[in-house]
Amino acid sequence: MASQATFEQRRRSAGLFLVAPAIVVLLAILGYPILESMMLALQRVQLNAGEIQRSFIGLGNFQRLLADETFRHAALNTLYFSVAEVVLVVVLGFGVALLLNHPLGRPGFFRILLVVPWAIAPVANAVLWKWILNANYGVLNGILQSLGLIDYYQVWLGSPFSALNFLLLVDVWKSVPFVALLLLAGLQRVPSILYRAAYMDGASRLQAFRHVTLPSMRGAVAIAVVLQTIWSLRVFDLVFVLTRGGPADATVLLNFLAYRVTFNFLDIGYGAAIANVIFVLTLLLAILYIRLVRPAEGAAR
Amino acid sequence: MSYALYRRGGPGLRLVTIVGLVLFVVWSAAPVVWLILSSLLQQKALIARPPDLSPANLTLDNFVTVVASAAALGRGILNSLIVALFSTAVALALGAPAAYALARLSVPRANAIAFLVLATQMLPSIAIAIPLFLVISRIGLIDNVFSLGVVYLSFNLPIVIWILRGFFLGIPAGLEKAAAIDGAGVLRTFWHIVLPISIPPLGAAAVFAFVEAWNEFFFALILTRQSAQTVPLVIAAFAGQYQTVFGQMMAAALISVVPVIVLAVVFRDWIVRGFADGMMKG
Repeated sequence: MASQATFEQRRRSAGLFLVAPAIVVLLAILGYPILESMMLALQRVQLNAGEIQRSFIGLGNFQRLLADETFRHAALNTLYFSVAEVVLVVVLGFGVALLLNHPLGRPGFFRILLVVPWAIAPVANAVLWKWILNANYGVLNGILQSLGLIDYYQVWLGSPFSALNFLLLVDVWKSVPFVALLLLAGLQRVPSILYRAAYMDGASRLQAFRHVTLPSMRGAVAIAVVLQTIWSLRVFDLVFVLTRGGPADATVLLNFLAYRVTFNFLDIGYGAAIANVIFVLTLLLAILYIRLVRPAEGAAR
Repeated sequence: MSYALYRRGGPGLRLVTIVGLVLFVVWSAAPVVWLILSSLLQQKALIARPPDLSPANLTLDNFVTVVASAAALGRGILNSLIVALFSTAVALALGAPAAYALARLSVPRANAIAFLVLATQMLPSIAIAIPLFLVISRIGLIDNVFSLGVVYLSFNLPIVIWILRGFFLGIPAGLEKAAAIDGAGVLRTFWHIVLPISIPPLGAAAVFAFVEAWNEFFFALILTRQSAQTVPLVIAAFAGQYQTVFGQMMAAALISVVPVIVLAVVFRDWIVRGFADGMMKG
């Protein structure tokens, strides 16, 4: 018993020794900026002749948010974008995972196809799609016209509704592979003995899917939903390159709004307030993620 | 019906699977194929309606022009390489021991620390960008690859810790016990027993961190001016500047994504196993 205690003690002090450097570095990089950004959100920050003037205004910035038409618009855009993206990505990702889990989908070639969109930089992806969607020479227009589906070349990014949905399409294209990988890993963890039992009991394939696959995948799907929601709130590069928020602010998402308010309008305190709203939203989602992961871990054992 | 046949499904399911796989291939590959094709076609072929795909229009001129004229691209690639290698190496060196400690060694409040590490990832980059910018400009390190690399640790360290912790949680406890009985201390066990069996997840974490750093845009946009500009900035600027020279634009974009695509394809099995498993565990 005594030797057991020293064994644990030694492991504990070694543990602190191993974990400390990483935590110290993270704190050194992030500690001050996090506190400072919360302070900024409570201040009015003005730039006068290159001098930064700061005055404490309490929750003034947050009160401004409530009355701000542009913020409300961006929040609605973000809500639509995130909900639609999560639904599309998880449904398509699940479909792809099922395909790749089938014996016909096993060849490595399919996995190669899966990692390519994931690895492409969001900026390069945006540049590529800007060219595909080009109003005068874009290949999408070319294909649709050749097929007789459209009469004239369309300005896909020209009207608010269409621009937001194409932004969505491009991000879905890039996001599906990763969620598919996540769900594929989930599918491969479903114990095969369950399928064997379903077979012995004379269950049809469809019944096995409904009563074995779907319940076993509940945890993995929930994780994918939360992670994808967090990622969809972070979209920035795509908006920056593809639409710059236009037309008529139709593609201004919260993250882009925070950037624009801060760096274009130099309204630093207000920008920090918007950023903190996004932070709190994401943090709540992260807590949800943790709660979902825990039982999934227990079930896997 | 045998069990093997049962698992594979009947002709109906096979047909659905084949159709699904074909759609999946077209959906995933078409944009990439068009990226490659456009980079190899002359301008006159690209601005034909519809694009003229005859082989006579194939050319390497776009690449030649881009490589010869855009010195910024070469410098961007070099900068991205330095930033990505630096932040990946440091993240692994600090993150692997930390992940091991959080997963296996009875560090007080290990789960809370792990959650806080993850929570830093929830921070929108924009929230910390302004204070970071103010600090870094005060010490005169704006437009410097190493200050950018240090900032990248803010996301690469959490990524590495989170991926590896998921793996370390699954190591059988008997392995460490056996090493302890043989007289190995904790550090020796970590170095000689745990790390050698962790090559795939270490590789996954490394590839992941490298790709994230190589592709990062927002911090680079705010913290660099010219000499430290990374590839995504060069590509974004290029696309704004020469937005009518489509072939060259695609050639530049292709050059910028090839290194990470090669990495991702070569190490795909590690990524699939290492990352997906890491993310599924508390």
